[in-house]
Order: sequence, then structure tokens, then C-alpha cells
Amino acid sequence: MFRTELRKLLPYRTAWIILLLFTALLAATAAGAGGVNVNGQQLGQALYALPGLWTNLVYLASYFSLLPAFLLIMLITDEFQYRTLRQQVIDGASREQLVLDKLLVALLLSGWALLSVLAVGLYFGLTRSGANAADILAAAPRPLLLYAAQLLGYLALAALLAVLIRRSTPTIVALLLYVWVLERLIRYFLPDEIDRFLPMKALDILTPSPFAQTLDTVLGPSGALLPGEAVPVALGYAVLFWLLSALLLRIRDL
Amino acid sequence: MPAILDIEHLTKRYARTTAVQDLSLSVPAGSVFGLLGPNGSGKTTTLGIALGVLHASGGTVRWFGAAPTAASRRRVGSLLETPNFFPYLSARQNLQISADTKRTSPAGIARALELVDLAGRQHEPVRGFSLGMKQRLALAAALLGEPEVLVLDEPTNGLDPQGIADVRGLIQRLAAEGRTIILASHLLDEVQKVCTHAAVLHQGRLRAAGAVSDILAATDRVHLRLAPDAAPQQLHQALLAVPFAQSVQLAPDGTCTLTLAPGHSPAELNRALFAQGLVLAHLSTERRSLETQFLQIINN
Repeated sequence: MFRTELRKLLPYRTAWIILLLFTALLAATAAGAGGVNVNGQQLGQALYALPGLWTNLVYLASYFSLLPAFLLIMLITDEFQYRTLRQQVIDGASREQLVLDKLLVALLLSGWALLSVLAVGLYFGLTRSGANAADILAAAPRPLLLYAAQLLGYLALAALLAVLIRRSTPTIVALLLYVWVLERLIRYFLPDEIDRFLPMKALDILTPSPFAQTLDTVLGPSGALLPGEAVPVALGYAVLFWLLSALLLRIRDL
Repeated sequence: MPAILDIEHLTKRYARTTAVQDLSLSVPAGSVFGLLGPNGSGKTTTLGIALGVLHASGGTVRWFGAAPTAASRRRVGSLLETPNFFPYLSARQNLQISADTKRTSPAGIARALELVDLAGRQHEPVRGFSLGMKQRLALAAALLGEPEVLVLDEPTNGLDPQGIADVRGLIQRLAAEGRTIILASHLLDEVQKVCTHAAVLHQGRLRAAGAVSDILAATDRVHLRLAPDAAPQQLHQALLAVPFAQSVQLAPDGTCTLTLAPGHSPAELNRALFAQGLVLAHLSTERRSLETQFLQIINN
């Protein structure tokens, strides 16, 4: 039940710290990124100008997607640690309900991240690009929806690992190992036409680097999926990971 | 009496141990049912399976005559093993979560907190509570929604003597209201003081089950002997005819032992035998402790 999850989440200070940190880091990076030099040229106002504003911003935000993932891991593993998942089953919740509750939390965290991107984008768009609010908002839906699909994929993987491992630190280590090491190793052994469907590669392509176009011009097309093609893959992974979490919770003792 | 909980041939195996083996028992409606056994005897595992948190390796559980569901668990208030709460939330906030899960009105929270004497500290985070306070809060959570059945696993754990007396009083009061209570305990006198029925578990197996008065009565055993010149068989026959003499046994040395039905004394027995023309040369009573009986049950 969403109301019950809010009762757990709202008084949890760590959750607020992580969520505010996400927003603050995004705003600070967006403010500072204008000074970055690319190919000897300062990004400057180009970062905040339409039509690239939202693509640039969700690319920056994707660097911090691990923060809501860590928070979701803590929220799930805490419940194993406090044995409150067990107590809720004893009190009359079904195991499927428990998974559904955490899916609602993942949607809530994604909502916070999207609102943060929206607020930061609107602020910098208005103050630094000179565009009007209507034009800025009109350009937002596609990049934001792609970012939402990426976040849902990340959070689904985080939830699956949390249900599997049940302790916060090993789960966070496992997530980082998969994202940074394991999948890259797997990609090394797989041909391009298969490895572009691996979870991290498909998720990452949803928020492409603003420099990707330049790189493609220089190096030729990368063989990765197009962002639009990656959406069903990302959502497919999200559904698969949540179903696996439900299965794990169903077959295991609590 | 219809059964509230029916367990048949329940088995729970872990990799190297069998925690519960072929356990069958039935909890009658309105009873205070004690699940008695030493630590590690399988009490909590049995209740964990009954309450849906552990999967059985074999056997069946039925609540209220049907296969268990989340809805049937909401009719049962349970305290299993340890109090489980969010430490950063207050006592009241934790009970609100319990009430949500049980789908009961939060209006009962105040009463439950009063009942366990925690109303004055309801806004404090649970992380600062002692084990006894957490245990009382877990009892309050179990009582939310006034469930028709209560499952209490070692409910007096961590409580001081006054707390223990309060919990026993509470159990007796709830039982008097007609609720069924399943009480797991390793404390013999706890089970004897509050339970109407009991099952004794040892190493995952059922060793005895029935009315507490039958399996755990601290009955004294009476020893009798006639003068050496009388035929011992004569005493045995006479005792079988005495209606309040129970479980009469004849030892090879001619001594007969028996227990007396409640409300009867050795003096009455002596009088009854004298009326049959038998004069005793020896009459003594052997006081058997609950512990002796319990050990006898689990060692048989």
C-alpha cells in the first residue's frame, strides 16, 4: 500500500539526505558544466540552449542515477534487517503485495528525479538561454521519458539485487560491480549485435552523451541501439527484474 | 469444538537438520493452546509455517478449516519470535503500519498502547526502547483489530516479573472473552498456569498432546503396601474398585502406586480400603515436579 510506504519513507532522514543530494548535485553540475572545455571550446551557453537543454541535462542526471538506486537498496535491505517484511506477511500482507509496494517506492523515487531534472532545466533554461517557459517545457517530454525508462531499469536491477542479497553494503557493491565491471567484461566476449541488448548498455543509451554525435561523425556509428529502440528493452528488463524479485520473495523463507 | 488451526504431518527440513518432523496437531476454538518444548524443539518453526513466513517441506496447515491465505492471517494477531519494528519510527507510527497491514482502523492504536502501558512513550522512536518495551509493543501490535486468534511466541521474553504477571493476566482476560490463544513457551509453569490444552515438542517431534490437566498436572503419586503376610494382588484388586484411584500399578515387591482424582485425599483412600477390610502397613505420597513430568514426556 502506497500510504504505508509513505509512512516508512517520509520520517526516514537518510532518504531525504539522498534525494536532496541528488537534486543539489544535479543543480551544481548543471551550473558548473557551462565552464567545461570540449575540443578547446567552452560549452558555455550551448549547454542550456534549446533543443539540446533537456538531452544535456538528463545526460548529467544519469551520472547520479545510482543515488536513488542506493536509496531503494537501503529501503529494501533495511526491511530484511529489521524483519519487517516478515512481520508484514505475518500481519496479513501477501508477498506479491510487498513487491508491489517497493515498485511504488521505485516509481516515487523516479518521480522525484524527474521533478528535479524538470526544475533544474526550467531554471537554467529561463535564466541562461533566454527561451520562454512554454518552449522549454514543450521540448522536455521525450528526453524526460527516456530518462524515466532508464531510472526504472536501474531501480528494478537494484531491487532485484537487494531481494537476492538482503544486506545493504554487499548489494551496493554488487550493483557497482555489475554496472562498472561485470557487464563490460561480458560485452568484451559478445558480438556488438548482441551486447547492445545487455541491460547497462541499453539503459545508458537512453541518455546519450551530448558529444555522441561528434564522436559518431569521427568514428562512425557505434552499433548501439537508438534511444527510441532502447525504451522497450529497458522497460522489458524492468518488468523482468521485478518479476524475478517477486519470484524470489515467493519461494524463499522470510 | 471446531478446530481453529489444523496441522497435519508437517515437516520442515533445512540443509542439515530437520526442524519439524511429521507433526500433527489441532487447536480447538476457544482454547488456550500451549506449544511447549525446550529451545530448538521446533515451536517457532511450526508457527512460522502456520503464519506463512516459512515454507513447509511437507504436510499441510489449515486455518479456520481452509488453506491459509493473507486474509486468514489478518484474522490472527501474532507475535513471532522477536518484536519486529522500524527503529527510527515511533511506537505509534509502527502501530500505524501494523494497522495498515491488518486493514484495521487506526482507532484501536490508542487502546492497544494503553493496554500495554506504553501510551506515555508512544511518540518516542522504538530504537530507544528496552527489550521488554519492544515486547509489550509487539503485544499491542498483535492485539490491533481485536483478532479472534492470538499467536504468542514466548510473549514474556525480556519482561520483568510485573510485566510477566501482566501478560499472563492479559492472556487469561483475552481467553475469558472467548478468543483462541496459541502460546509457545519453554516455561512449564507459564503453560500450566494459563493453558487449557498443550502439545509438547522435542527435537521437532510431537511427544504429547491433550488437555493440560491430563499431560502436565503436578499430581502426586501415592505408594501403598499391605502387611507382608497379605496377598499383594488383593490390594491391587481393591484399588481398581476405588473410583477415585487412577493409573493403579502393582510393583513386584507388592507395593501399589496410583494417582488420586482431583479433590480426593490419601486419608479417603485409606478409609475406602479399610471399609473393604484391608489394613495398610505403608502409605506415602511422592511429590512429582512439573519438570520431572516434562522430562519424562520428552525422554520417552
